[in-house]
Amino acid sequence: MNGLMLVARREIVTQVRTKGFVIGLLVTVLLVAAVSFLPMIMGGDSYTLGTVNSQQLPLRQAAPDTEFEWRTFPDEEAAKQAVLDGDVDAVLVDNTRVLTDGEIDSELGVLMQSVNREVKLGAAGVNIPPLQVQSVGADAQYEGARTGIAVVLVLVLFMLLMGQVTMVAMGVVEEKGSRIVEILLSSLRPWQLLGGKVAGLGVVGLINMVAILAAGLLAASASGLAADFPPGIAGLVAGVLVWFVLGYVFFATLSAALASLVSRQEEVNTVLTPLTMTVMLTYFVSFYITTDPTGTLATVMSFVPPFSSMVMPVRMAATEVPLWQVGVSMAAMLLAVAVVLAIGAKVYARAVLRTGARLKLTDVLRAK
Amino acid sequence: MLEISDLRKRFAGGPDAPEGKVALDGISFTVRPGEMFGFVGANGAGKTTTMRIVMGVLQADSGEVSWQGRPLGYDDRRRFGYMPEERGLYQKMKVTEQIEYFGRLQGLSAQAAKKSATDLIERLGLVERRNDAVQALSLGNQQRVQLAVALVHDPAVLVLDEPFSGLDPIAVDTLATALQERCRGGVPVIFSSHQLELVERLCDSVGIVSAGRMVATGTVADLRGVESNTLRIVVRDPAPGWSDGLPGTVTVRGDRHILQTADVDDQEVLRRAMKAGHVEYFGVEQPTLTEIFKEAVA
Ligand SMILES: Nc1ncnc2c1ncn2[C@@H]1O[C@H](COP(=O)(O)OP(=O)(O)O)[C@@H](O)[C@H]1O
Ligand SMILES: [Mg+2]
Repeated sequence: MNGLMLVARREIVTQVRTKGFVIGLLVTVLLVAAVSFLPMIMGGDSYTLGTVNSQQLPLRQAAPDTEFEWRTFPDEEAAKQAVLDGDVDAVLVDNTRVLTDGEIDSELGVLMQSVNREVKLGAAGVNIPPLQVQSVGADAQYEGARTGIAVVLVLVLFMLLMGQVTMVAMGVVEEKGSRIVEILLSSLRPWQLLGGKVAGLGVVGLINMVAILAAGLLAASASGLAADFPPGIAGLVAGVLVWFVLGYVFFATLSAALASLVSRQEEVNTVLTPLTMTVMLTYFVSFYITTDPTGTLATVMSFVPPFSSMVMPVRMAATEVPLWQVGVSMAAMLLAVAVVLAIGAKVYARAVLRTGARLKLTDVLRAK
Repeated sequence: MLEISDLRKRFAGGPDAPEGKVALDGISFTVRPGEMFGFVGANGAGKTTTMRIVMGVLQADSGEVSWQGRPLGYDDRRRFGYMPEERGLYQKMKVTEQIEYFGRLQGLSAQAAKKSATDLIERLGLVERRNDAVQALSLGNQQRVQLAVALVHDPAVLVLDEPFSGLDPIAVDTLATALQERCRGGVPVIFSSHQLELVERLCDSVGIVSAGRMVATGTVADLRGVESNTLRIVVRDPAPGWSDGLPGTVTVRGDRHILQTADVDDQEVLRRAMKAGHVEYFGVEQPTLTEIFKEAVA
């Protein structure tokens, strides 16, 4: 165990110190933070309006999420100039006319018309109760936020998974190709070397993951987006971490086993192709599922390892998933991880000292 | 004491050679504490395979390696120092960190690894380079780091596969001195080399391997004993027919006659030569290791 820890520590220290790691982490953290602020920058509508000899309309009551800024102009001429300069979006004149530059923003137009009607009717003594909106879908209130979280999640999971899994493969080939492995294996057992590498690079991935999630949550609460988050976001985050670890161990072990078949860095891409394809496929399926998290495909794929490692957290983010389904899916994934660990460790132990031409997986498995 | 007995190893053949390749066909030898053992043999003879099996990096098909009377196990092996034939270091890791890391892998505490690394860096003349990445070092300095990695945990046994190859004469001396020091401290040292003069100079005993078999083992003196020693006499202007009846060969070069003979009464031969002419040289020539080697693998 001690050997495994030493190997893992070296991997962590080596990777965390590289420029690539620091820059990569900063960039993703900033991206995630930016995404959290995006709705505020884009979606948070605001209008600047003017009045000439008019009352301000109570627009705020009708559209509480929108900002309105009012200005008063002495006469119509000044108001026209302000409209043409783009200083104001529209000016209400004499409580009857609206000045705009070209066609009015449709949302603003509808809003002003209906509020104006209400005000006039109210003045005439007519009182219209507003329509009550009632959702018949579950949690419709959070649907947008849930989909958003799911999309970001898929992207982050995919990037980290792919990055770390490739790192594992490159590390394995570095050691095999340069024959360091011969010295290493005279004082370590193959499983310690393999386990240490997978664990160390996994910790680096987790550091990334936690940093990104933290940045996302912090930025979301700062931007006010967090108010739209569904309840139980903490549980979701914890779940994501667990699923990430499972998916990572599965793919990283496979990656190490495949990489141990070749001796040169140039061969890594080729030998990893089937694995890369599987990760990509997992990614596409998960991405598709963010648009249809309650469909049959989503439900089925969330049980099939290794797809489940990404599909299930996405499903969980996008919709409510019964606990038993999560349990069954996780058990299946754990089983798959165990199988991959057993086979992968065997392949690695047999192949990593056989330098030279690329080995065939079937030969390695068949050899005594 | 390290005992290697009857190692056999066959490599699986590829499609072009389905019968496979016998790399070791019964290799046995013993290395005592404080003994330096030179392992010589042509390319492909099986030296590297033997050393890899000793280091547990390869599994033998049969045969045994034992250390201090017990089969060599994983924990004992961690106390061995190893320099593989193909050198391997982490290119981007700094010299000190690298030596410390391998020290820790081989069971040293953090503190002990640090101390040992510092000592070795000083002894091997790497002080100025200690914070450089390995890839920035000259080949000679990389070799020194490789040696440091083999020595960092004060190994109980040293197994070095062609440690002298590619070194300049000064680096050869540094390495030879480092090995002799360890050896004097009671550590058995095995190394393979094609530089036979070096093996002859450094080693207490030698094993000659050919096509997976140990064709000769023993001290250099033992190996010489097996070969017949040659008597060589150079006589100037001898009377004609002076060497008639003596075994061996006479080479004539100008007015010098060179007699090479064996299994004779050397004093009698000397008397005859002195009577016949002016003796310029008289001596028993011991075969060099190169000659012994050629004879053994022929
Ligand atoms: N991994 C391997 N696969 C197949 N044949 C091998 C392998 N390693 C060594 N051999 C063969 O075993 C024989 C002994 O090789 P080796 O021990 O490297 O010799 P040496 O070190 O004395 O030059 C050679 O014929 C070599 O081709
Ligand atoms: Mg060799």
